[in-house]
Amino acid sequence: MPTLSKPRMSEDIIGLIRENVIQGRVAQDDEGLDGGMAGQPGVLELTEKALAMGIDVRDIINKGLTEGMNVVGKKFEAKKYYIPDMLASAEAVGAAMGILEPHLAKSGVKAKGKVILATVKGDLHEIGKNIVSMLLRGAGYTVRDLGNDVEPQAIVDAVREEKPQFLGLSALLTSTMVNMKDTIQALEESGLRDKVKVIIGGAPVSEEFAQSIGADGYGADGFHAVKVLDSF
Amino acid sequence: MSSPGIRNEFDIDKQQVLNHMGYGAGGAPSARVESLVKEYADNICHLIEPSYSYVIRGIDSVRGSRVFIEGSVTFRSNIIAQLLEQCQKVAVFVVTIGGRLEEVVRQLAKDGLMVQAAVLDAIGSDAAETLAHVVQDIVGKEAEAEGLGISLRFSPGYCDWRVSQQKMVFRAMGGDTAGVRLTDGCLMVPQKSISGIIGIGPRGEVEGYNPCPTCKKRDCIGRR
Repeated sequence: MPTLSKPRMSEDIIGLIRENVIQGRVAQDDEGLDGGMAGQPGVLELTEKALAMGIDVRDIINKGLTEGMNVVGKKFEAKKYYIPDMLASAEAVGAAMGILEPHLAKSGVKAKGKVILATVKGDLHEIGKNIVSMLLRGAGYTVRDLGNDVEPQAIVDAVREEKPQFLGLSALLTSTMVNMKDTIQALEESGLRDKVKVIIGGAPVSEEFAQSIGADGYGADGFHAVKVLDSF
Repeated sequence: MSSPGIRNEFDIDKQQVLNHMGYGAGGAPSARVESLVKEYADNICHLIEPSYSYVIRGIDSVRGSRVFIEGSVTFRSNIIAQLLEQCQKVAVFVVTIGGRLEEVVRQLAKDGLMVQAAVLDAIGSDAAETLAHVVQDIVGKEAEAEGLGISLRFSPGYCDWRVSQQKMVFRAMGGDTAGVRLTDGCLMVPQKSISGIIGIGPRGEVEGYNPCPTCKKRDCIGRR
């Protein structure tokens, strides 16, 4: 009878992490998107076990978490998954990243880049921005979230101090999306515009609007936003 | 007219809540989402502080896309002008479920519990819709007593009626806005609030006014 060698065990655990990300299961008490899975280890327990077994953190992230989220992204695109399903998966990835974070540096894992996110001045809507934030973290970016109703000057100050590679601006209303333009103008006036790629998102905005205000990109949804950042 | 003392035992329409989250026809929620919707919908009362206010104003005149309402209020929208051209009066209203629910949503999101936050947020949206229906029913009964009918509800942001026209809706309310305030960007605070108008006019005419069937924006989430 064959015994499971260590590499095979690693693949098994990573495969389980991937499957549990797809099921949106953070911990073992979670029943999963399809239901009936309570009691089985979730992403948290599996990630802890993988670390204890000495599995490479890069493999846990790339082959487990990221591949799992890629499947979720495809299901979301095909309308097989809906926003809450995608959130559950992003939650699971976020929980795993919380455990993995202290191990990232010594494993030689580098963040893909730093992103500052903000809902622009006058707008209080946060859910869309928070979804993007979770997906970016899960995809390996460092995210600094400035919150909502953020003045252009506060965004300029944050870009100057934190030197992110990317700036994501969100707005839900036609009456507040104009403040994205003001923010980009404020960056230009401060001489910081060419230091950061600006990507915008939110219900009323479009690729055309992004171009018209001088943004570098437009994210139609959270997964698309990750793709756009990756393409930079 | 303001009535903050209404009962807050809301019958949350669970299918509507799922619709708010994007599950349309054929989209089945997971077991987890379904059980969360049920659990939250059945235990939401303590998070809802319902309040509403409405006024009924006369329509002075309609010229092009402008509607002149008594009290120095002007609505600008082709769609609203076409509606109110058929009406004698207009009910202007604001409803809110208060700020408690959105505080909890914010805290859940902060704690990384995004599924719970999304479900509770959708339930809050449905509760606000339910409250707007309550006002619509009251206005409908008042109109009926005068032998008149009422139109569908319209809010700034619908069709070609700009969100910035919230200022006019709030001006029409004459100071009693059910505790809801407008930000400079014309956002209502608390956010789970609905403002808008209901046309009051000849029975058998105003009820049927619906610009959606001839509208080209087929993917509009507000399509009726």
